[in-house]
Amino acid sequence: MNLSRAMPIEDRLRAVSNYAVIVALLLIVIGFAIAAPSFLTTANLYNLILNNVVMLAIVAIGMTIVVSSGGIDLSVGISVDMASMAFIMLLKAGVFVGVAMAAGIGAALLVGLINALLITRLKISPFLATLGILFIGQSVQKIASGGGKPVYLANAKYAPTFNAIVKSDVLGIPTPMLILAVIAVAVFVLLHRSVFGRYIRALGAQPGVAWYSGIRVQFHTSLVYIIAAGLCGVTGILLSSTVKSYVPLSGDAYLLDAIGACFIGTTISAQRRPSVIGTLIGVLLLAVTRNGLLLVGWNFYWQQVGIGVLVFAVLALSFGLRGRGH
Amino acid sequence: MTMTSTAETAGSGARPEGTGRRKGTLFLRLGALAMFVLIMAWFAFTTRGFISPANIFNVIEQTAIMGVLSFGMAVVLIGGGTDVQTGGIDLSIAANTGLCAAVYATMLNGGWGDLASAAATLGTGIAVGLLNAVAVVRLGILPLLATLAVMNISAGLELTITENQVIGVSSPVTMVIATGRFLGLSMLAWIFILFSLAMIWAIHYSRTGLRLYAVGGHPEAARAAGINVGAYVAGTYAFSGFCAGFAAILLVARLSASTTATGQLLLAILAAALLGTVFSRRFVPTAGGTILSTLFIGFLANGFQLSNVSYYWVNGVQGVLILMVVAVTTFAKPQGK
Repeated sequence: MNLSRAMPIEDRLRAVSNYAVIVALLLIVIGFAIAAPSFLTTANLYNLILNNVVMLAIVAIGMTIVVSSGGIDLSVGISVDMASMAFIMLLKAGVFVGVAMAAGIGAALLVGLINALLITRLKISPFLATLGILFIGQSVQKIASGGGKPVYLANAKYAPTFNAIVKSDVLGIPTPMLILAVIAVAVFVLLHRSVFGRYIRALGAQPGVAWYSGIRVQFHTSLVYIIAAGLCGVTGILLSSTVKSYVPLSGDAYLLDAIGACFIGTTISAQRRPSVIGTLIGVLLLAVTRNGLLLVGWNFYWQQVGIGVLVFAVLALSFGLRGRGH
Repeated sequence: MTMTSTAETAGSGARPEGTGRRKGTLFLRLGALAMFVLIMAWFAFTTRGFISPANIFNVIEQTAIMGVLSFGMAVVLIGGGTDVQTGGIDLSIAANTGLCAAVYATMLNGGWGDLASAAATLGTGIAVGLLNAVAVVRLGILPLLATLAVMNISAGLELTITENQVIGVSSPVTMVIATGRFLGLSMLAWIFILFSLAMIWAIHYSRTGLRLYAVGGHPEAARAAGINVGAYVAGTYAFSGFCAGFAAILLVARLSASTTATGQLLLAILAAALLGTVFSRRFVPTAGGTILSTLFIGFLANGFQLSNVSYYWVNGVQGVLILMVVAVTTFAKPQGK
């Protein structure tokens, strides 16, 4: 179809578009710094990273692994919620915090395992499998919480537990930030510097070739969804420790942002491939925009429109400048 | 039993259109129908009032709105192809309906006439549809990602218009739609019947419908045959947007208000459009399949309500149904393209 297209101009456009998102991020930061005096304060940036960046980034990194393998996970919110639900309900039942935490991660891993079985055994496309799990998970939460009633553990008895998780620091670095850093480095190595990662990316680029090359497609695909769900579980624990409660369906908010961040991140690579670093830039872009819009006085409804438009624009840039591949 | 036989033929790959597979798909189609009949029968016997005329018409009225939306989704699926990951899909249709309902209710309350309000509502729906069309056809964004972003935009705009409040409405036209009767049937039931007939004609007996199947089934072949593939695909998203606007008018009329939870219809719409594919020989969406599965989902939700099973279960059961249907159809389909 596009053999006769003039390639040099396209190449130049692509090269420019590789830096577009970084330039956009800088412009947005400068814009908000001028428009909202409280934006560039230490307190706001600290709050921004702890409350907006860390939890979304961990989910988005999970999504990055899935998208790298050529799939998609619409049930990330369910994994977050299931971890949160198990963690909070067990804490309330008086279970030791370490056990509750392990059970929370376990609940999220279970969601990932179900996704993996649906996709690799029943051959359901990742999109429909995780969509089905999204709706089943919503139903399960409504049933378990009597229609969506939050479980609050706001009394003083639990405060030290939660503070030990989200308000503590190690060598001056807040624990949640440290957790994100460890996860980001680990997944970076896993995805971009290991054999496993090469297999995963081969699956995403050429599933047929990956299969003929002797890669155990089902095994690696399963691991992808289970690891992603486990990462969502970490966010679930951090989220419920931050708000000191389990709020049913609160994980849904991460879905569009995680997909958006991951695909915004693909624009920094010449081949439009997802990467951990790209995703982190995408998360920063979304989080800074949301925080900035709040500071300049936009309400929640307009923030949703603004973020939707931003994601749309970046997807348009990413897909539009890539040329009509298929 | 069918599972293994269809899986075997699917696995052998090289064998085209074997009789075993054909028997398998026939069994599947009859099986889907039998499941439909069995569940209906179970509700009829166990639930008081399920088969009363009042209840049946109540379900048909509710189904009218779902039916219009399911047809919108089905047309997008037909034109976008059966590949559920890169094929056609419109995740924004429910949020778009919510936005259109907000526009309609707000304009009626603001003193605009029935005609102007309805025109603006349909215009809003089509505009959102065209946004999807531009994103998918012009910019080449994956439909599921493009419509996901548009879903967020629509939902956000709806919230900014309604401020998350229910907007009550009454006007001559909405009164006629909500309470009018003709030859013993309610207006909504008539609208559903006429709309279905129009869709059966458009999808299965018109030139446009035939070409649309060609576009979805094999875009390259359709292009080689001289069909403007991009225009047809764009048309499906515009039509889906039109359906959202039309459904919004019916919804506001029926409830005498715009509601805040319209976005949650997405599951049922997707389930109806996807379940509909089991009733077709080649597992593509058809008008008949869409009508049957929409009625099925309508009666299912109604039966759950009447038998005092908590409404919380309905989403989950529908999710399980989607997974079952898709798993079974994946096994029955011939492998490789």
